[in-house]
Amino acid sequence: MTSTPYEPAAAPESDLRRSGIRLGDVLFKGIAILAALAATVLLGWIAYKVFDLAWPAIQDFGLSFIWTEAWDPVTNQFGALIFIYGTIVTSLIALVIATPLSIAIALFLTEIAPRRVAAPIATMVELLAAIPSVVLGLWGILVFGPWVHNHLEPWIQDTPLGLLPVFSGVPLPGGSIFTAGLILTIMIIPITSAICRELFIRVPQDLTDGALALGSTRWEAIRGVMFAYAAPGIVAAVLLGLGRAFGEAIAVTQTIGNRNQIPPSWFEPGDSLGSKIASEYQGATSLEQASSILYLAAILMVISLATNVVAQLIVVRFERARRAV
Amino acid sequence: MSELSVDPYDITVKSNGLRRRRIVEKVFGVLAIGSALLACGILLVVLGTLVYKGFSSLNVDFFTKARPLFGENGGVADALVGSALVVGMAMLMAIPVSVLVAIYMSEYAGPKVSRGLKIVLDVLNGVPAIVVGIFVFGILVVGHGQSAVYGAFALAILMLPMVARATQEILEIVPRSLRDASFALGVTKWRTTWSIVLPAAIGGILTGVVIAVARVAGETAPLLFTTSIAANEISTDVSHALPTLPVTIFVFSESPDPGEQSAAWAAALVLIAFVLVMNVLAKLFAGRKRRQLEGS
Amino acid sequence: MKRILAAGLVVLALVALAAFAGRTQSASAKPTAGSLVGTGATFPFPLISKWIPAVDNALGLKITYSATGSGAGIAQITARTVDFGASDAPLSPDQLTGCKGCVVIPWALAGMSVPYNLPSVGKRLVLNGAVLANIYLGNITNWNAGAIRALNPGVTLPDQKITVVYRSDGSGSTYAFTNYLATVSPQWKSKVGVNTSVSFPTGTGARGSAGVAGIVKSTVGALTYVDAAYSIANKFQFALIKNRAGGNATPGVRGVQAALCELPAKVTSLSQLKIVDPSAKCGKRAYPISTFTYAIVPTASGSKAADLRKFVYWAVTAGQKFGPPLYFVPLPKSVNGFNYREIKKIQAGS
Repeated sequence: MTSTPYEPAAAPESDLRRSGIRLGDVLFKGIAILAALAATVLLGWIAYKVFDLAWPAIQDFGLSFIWTEAWDPVTNQFGALIFIYGTIVTSLIALVIATPLSIAIALFLTEIAPRRVAAPIATMVELLAAIPSVVLGLWGILVFGPWVHNHLEPWIQDTPLGLLPVFSGVPLPGGSIFTAGLILTIMIIPITSAICRELFIRVPQDLTDGALALGSTRWEAIRGVMFAYAAPGIVAAVLLGLGRAFGEAIAVTQTIGNRNQIPPSWFEPGDSLGSKIASEYQGATSLEQASSILYLAAILMVISLATNVVAQLIVVRFERARRAV
Repeated sequence: MSELSVDPYDITVKSNGLRRRRIVEKVFGVLAIGSALLACGILLVVLGTLVYKGFSSLNVDFFTKARPLFGENGGVADALVGSALVVGMAMLMAIPVSVLVAIYMSEYAGPKVSRGLKIVLDVLNGVPAIVVGIFVFGILVVGHGQSAVYGAFALAILMLPMVARATQEILEIVPRSLRDASFALGVTKWRTTWSIVLPAAIGGILTGVVIAVARVAGETAPLLFTTSIAANEISTDVSHALPTLPVTIFVFSESPDPGEQSAAWAAALVLIAFVLVMNVLAKLFAGRKRRQLEGS
Repeated sequence: MKRILAAGLVVLALVALAAFAGRTQSASAKPTAGSLVGTGATFPFPLISKWIPAVDNALGLKITYSATGSGAGIAQITARTVDFGASDAPLSPDQLTGCKGCVVIPWALAGMSVPYNLPSVGKRLVLNGAVLANIYLGNITNWNAGAIRALNPGVTLPDQKITVVYRSDGSGSTYAFTNYLATVSPQWKSKVGVNTSVSFPTGTGARGSAGVAGIVKSTVGALTYVDAAYSIANKFQFALIKNRAGGNATPGVRGVQAALCELPAKVTSLSQLKIVDPSAKCGKRAYPISTFTYAIVPTASGSKAADLRKFVYWAVTAGQKFGPPLYFVPLPKSVNGFNYREIKKIQAGS
């Protein structure tokens, strides 16, 4: 809207007043520019500092750090694979469960629920996002985790899903990849469903009406029209939720079990990038260990950024395509 | 003819698979309702657990005594004070800079610069909180020690993109006519922005601030690295580390001591009550902003 | 709207004022009072908790201590983010170099207990080094294994999987425990090693003494290693450890004291403080898994040097009397001789 700078109309009479005006404007614009510069410099500084602190490890291990499965402070053998595995698996579990749920919730709020019911339910879903991660983690350690371990995991093992190798084996107490994945699910449902809700509201009514006029049922219209129209947006929403899941450290470190190995089963403890950084950074007693943890942070930063950037690109493309329609 | 009752206003194509299509429709309807109920259910279960387990610990001691040393009784008063100070300082640091960045983007910058800054803010928003914590640790805490100010600085970095984005969006909604009228009267640009545009946008800015505060009040990771080694007494000395509510909950959550666990639940209850109040406030401000701008 | 804004600004201004006032207040309240910030091991935390009010009374020093693990104690003092660190593990040569001139002062001594959760077994179980090493290596996985039965004749052991629990953070308890395991088991020494943080072959990790204690409390069949004071405070069953003399020792004050029998009369370096797996000479009471815990202080401590000397000196002398009720053993004279010489090295430096 106000994308072009707007200069005031002809300034009033006296020379004195004219120079006074310029000073005020110059000062104000100056501090505004400073602020914008500060924000940009800050971003660059963060990226620089993380890579700077990680540099000793990057030099020592090179890129093979990324696929090395080791974490041994005794022999100074470090690798990120264990934690990349944990981050990706927990986030994938969250994605697979949260995406259909979020889409269903968004559909419920936009298509099915009457206005008076939709508003409070929408508020409640938003409040789910407001729960601080440490509180969700507290609930996870003391209530949810034990329930998952004692009831949900054995139940899953009784179903056909239990035949999968990742769900077999005896569930261990004290946190697991699966529990952490479920906690992440709870955290990303509000994000993804809020974005989907915005998307579905924006679908032009006449498109849906047209489908209905041609004789499709409500669900067929949704599937055929809304999803097709909103598909890129849904992908972006999913990616944003994924980015959030990647970066979550506290609730995950409370519920994942903190183990230095890739577990054979998701019902056993493992570890993730954010979780490892949170639990070990302050206690890294050697330079190799400290900079290896920063290397983990650099990897985390890169994959979070990449996910966000891809999501933004999709949104931009989407907006451009829509405006062309 | 067919066993289905024919509704003259129902224009759904009659086909042999109609019953199946109707069933599919109903099934997905049920699934949608079920999903919404599941999400609400989880919220209620979490809140309910907090109330059930934490309410009984909300006594006078809880709000007036500091965290206890080994083998004593206490409360979380020092963490409450610490959190208030850290969040308050974060607001003081973040709000002016965020608003200025947004003003620059919306009032001064050209479209390319504006878009570039938008990208910068979005990327900043995507930096995980724990990475921000490590950053502040690396540039400030190393060699100097922890302090509540450093913790506030870390939280301010988290708040910046949220408040800047919200401010920028509301500034764009403020009608051009407002600025034009002001310029036509000979008011300078900076005066216009400060006295006319900003007040018109205040509702949206406050909404953004309140939402950002609600987010960072519960952040643990940045505070772990900057203000976690604190004395067990109520203190307002921000040049040293102060205890905070999220870090206290984090530490207590891993304790086997039932006393500390109860304190964790109660502290979590207090924290979430604060966050919920902030969210309600945000909705109120948002409503006001909408009404104001729609009316003008 | 303006009113709300004004109110908000007033609140913020009050917060800023309070922050500023707090600074000036604590500076002027006790003009001669110093304050020291330290972090590190959870092991000495009960004892340090007792020291904090006592030191305030005796020396007017305000001590702030946060239990974050021995690893953090070493890392934070190396980064000079605190005034002193605390660790159950002495610094390795690399860590000493990294710390750039730190003294390591043993200031407390206690036993590491091995608590477990087996409600069906009433009597205290006896374990020994070889069995513990095999459990932690994953070679023994069930409580009714032959090796455990052999140590406990007459006790009915349940068919229960052993859940191994270890410290996932950098922990001096891990150092002390793995030190013992490496001493008694060559397989442990070569396969895993000794450190504040090792790659445990099996089991579940948790943060802090509190974290591991929490898992043991809630999981039948779990076992872990944690300082004796935590075990006793949380009323865990802990194992009797069979020592070289054939006795079944407990991690109490007398058990740990007996393990000191091989200390030289004059201690000149930390490497002489070997009390793990004492020989049969020390008797049937000697508890094999005992550990010193250390304060780590930079020799160049600037303005804090005098306060640090006073504090550490008090801790190793007057502070020791707080130890026994918390299962800490008062430091023997030979160790204190070493300590006095080390404390003198804490100077303002450059």
